[in-house]
Amino acid sequence: MASAAGAKTRVVPDSKRERFARKGRARRRGFFAVIILAVGLIGLVWLHVWLRLQVVHMGYVLSTTSKLQNRLEQENRELKIELAMMTSPDRLESLARRRLGLKQPEKGQVIVLP
Amino acid sequence: MRRSVRRNGTRLGVAKILFLALFVLIGGRAIQLQMLQGDRLMRLGQRQHLKEWIVLPKRGALFDRTGEPLALSMESQSVYARPHRIHDPSKLSQALARILNMRVADVKEKITAEKPFVWVRRQLSSAEAEKIQVLNAEGIGMFYEPKRYYPQGQLAGQLIGFVGRDSEGLEGVELKYNDYIRGETGSSVAERDALGRRVLVQGVEGLHIPPGSDIHLTLDTSIQHMAEKELEASILKYRAKAGVAVVVEPFTGEVLALANYPSFDPNNYSKHSAEQRRNRAVTDSFEPGSTFKTILAAAALEESVVGKDDLFYCEMGKYPYAGKVIHDTHAHGWLPFSKILQVSSNIGFTKVAEKMKKDRFFRYIEKFGFGESTGIDVPGEAAGLLRRPEKWSSVDLATHAFGQGLSATPMQLVMAYAAIANGGFLMRPYVMRRAVGPTGEILLANQPHVVRRVISEKTSTLLASILKDVTTEGGTGVMANVDGFDVAGKTGTAQKADPVHGGYAAKKRVASFVGFVPANNPRLVALVLIDEPEVNVYGGVVAAPVFRNIAQGALRHLAVAPRKAVPIPAAPSGPEPLRQLVKRPPVKATDNAAEATPDFVGLSFREALEKAQSLKVKVRLQGNGYVVKQTPAAGDRWHDEGVLVLSLQG
Repeated sequence: MASAAGAKTRVVPDSKRERFARKGRARRRGFFAVIILAVGLIGLVWLHVWLRLQVVHMGYVLSTTSKLQNRLEQENRELKIELAMMTSPDRLESLARRRLGLKQPEKGQVIVLP
Repeated sequence: MRRSVRRNGTRLGVAKILFLALFVLIGGRAIQLQMLQGDRLMRLGQRQHLKEWIVLPKRGALFDRTGEPLALSMESQSVYARPHRIHDPSKLSQALARILNMRVADVKEKITAEKPFVWVRRQLSSAEAEKIQVLNAEGIGMFYEPKRYYPQGQLAGQLIGFVGRDSEGLEGVELKYNDYIRGETGSSVAERDALGRRVLVQGVEGLHIPPGSDIHLTLDTSIQHMAEKELEASILKYRAKAGVAVVVEPFTGEVLALANYPSFDPNNYSKHSAEQRRNRAVTDSFEPGSTFKTILAAAALEESVVGKDDLFYCEMGKYPYAGKVIHDTHAHGWLPFSKILQVSSNIGFTKVAEKMKKDRFFRYIEKFGFGESTGIDVPGEAAGLLRRPEKWSSVDLATHAFGQGLSATPMQLVMAYAAIANGGFLMRPYVMRRAVGPTGEILLANQPHVVRRVISEKTSTLLASILKDVTTEGGTGVMANVDGFDVAGKTGTAQKADPVHGGYAAKKRVASFVGFVPANNPRLVALVLIDEPEVNVYGGVVAAPVFRNIAQGALRHLAVAPRKAVPIPAAPSGPEPLRQLVKRPPVKATDNAAEATPDFVGLSFREALEKAQSLKVKVRLQGNGYVVKQTPAAGDRWHDEGVLVLSLQG
């Protein structure tokens, strides 16, 4: 009787055991899936934050470069004005007369080709 | 067992209700923040991290016809104060006054004003701006503003005009084409950080505001400079009050130079009076005097009222007409029509006007463009004063014949002469060639525009040949003669009206010369007008040499070859230091000691001239290109006349 009872409690059918094992595996898979999803989401959040930081950083770089461009353009304009002042006919003529001792060409000194 | 299950169910229900309540609370708050207060909160947030940056208009540049810049813009800094933020106005005003070279009291008055914002000084030099930035004072700030520079200084100042501090054109071309040159004012919104620095997270596209268009003028800086220099020299020499010189291309109406005296530097426009800023060539009208005789001559020739050789009796200098006496400077008897223009006889032209009749004469005055503006693209043009023939008094026919009793602007007069020079077409003058947008597209362009035909080509050619005599021996304009070129033109010495006493002023005159050169194929028409010269009043003495010098320089600049060979002056008698540096081969002598003619064959026109000049050989050039034949041939003896004849071809 005792052996019969013992046989009753101990003997578990193979199909039931497999069901438990399957359930356990499925639970573990679900757990891992949740973990992966969570890690993925956290990764995406980090990526977003990193990209945002990069955008801000590039914004600063652009701002600095834009300022540099403005400054260089300003310098370019200053130089153009200076060049135009330096090469104005009035200044060139007075320099040519004063420093180089040049004068207007005499009659016949300039030969214009036909 | 059942109790524990019930307890768990209760806890679960409480938790559910709690979470639901929390969810409702959070959702409600979200609705409140996003939907009910969303707009207001968004504005508050944007105010903290977004800032609108104003982009000031970038004014386009002005260039001459060769690309020389005449006006350019640059950003300069202006200093402002926010008085209520300044802690120690006394100390700060001293520091600012020292840097800005202003009176301390003036600065203090500004920075203690009961205003939220006040300009301390606008458009500083870069050195001043740097010093103020170093101060780093609370309540003092800098603002970038565009500033206009005119690198050529006073060159064509009246024509170019100037802009005000707000970058708006106020005079001249700057005013006329302001809509094209000005550029757009714009703004861009950009994020800023906690320190107020701009962070361009949206990129730079929004920052680009298109600048104004560049204007390319018809002016030639070199000719303009010559015109201004010569005009000034003459005005100072003859102690005149003012003067104008205009140079125009006769076939297009392009203005190459427009000089005014007194001059005006647009860089310091506030230091000049309105009198100095006035562009007299278009705003002022003068009685043209004898230069107007050409208009009557053109009309009379066109209508066949007179012929070139028709004789007129010039009454030996005095001609009673309509109760007045018409005088000539010199007494003349019988003169052909061409000669009365050459000697500028008032009496001769009074007789031509009598033959012409006033209605027909008036029709031609109008056809030549007098009494109406020329349409030049410069603001403030006057139309001159021209009365209709019905309102002419009995003497007006005579006075109009020699250019008194009516008034014209220098621009009208020069365009009338341009019509005679170009074969009879009255052209519209212009100073703007094209407006070029920021991407290089042409937004506006001026083309030569014929207003009307005034006289036939035949009359034009005939009149040009008569006007040539004016600048030859015996004419009044001989001092306008340019070496190597035929000049056609006319002198003028007009009396000036006396606005106080009426009639004409006893001593005030306007001396002028208008002409074109070369006479047979004109490249330029020029007018020189000297107002109230004191030392000498005659146009042939005061204005004609200015014309000659301007025309000579301009023709050389435009590389117009002279029709006649320009005589080369003899070598100076003094020592020539440069000559020692050049070793020339000795001229070979033939057996009988006579010099052989040098070889010129194969040389170009210029090389031949240079060689002739260096060997002091007289040459006569026939044709253009390269020397293909010479007489006498190379190595032969010289002919008796000692002239080497060179035939050029190719």
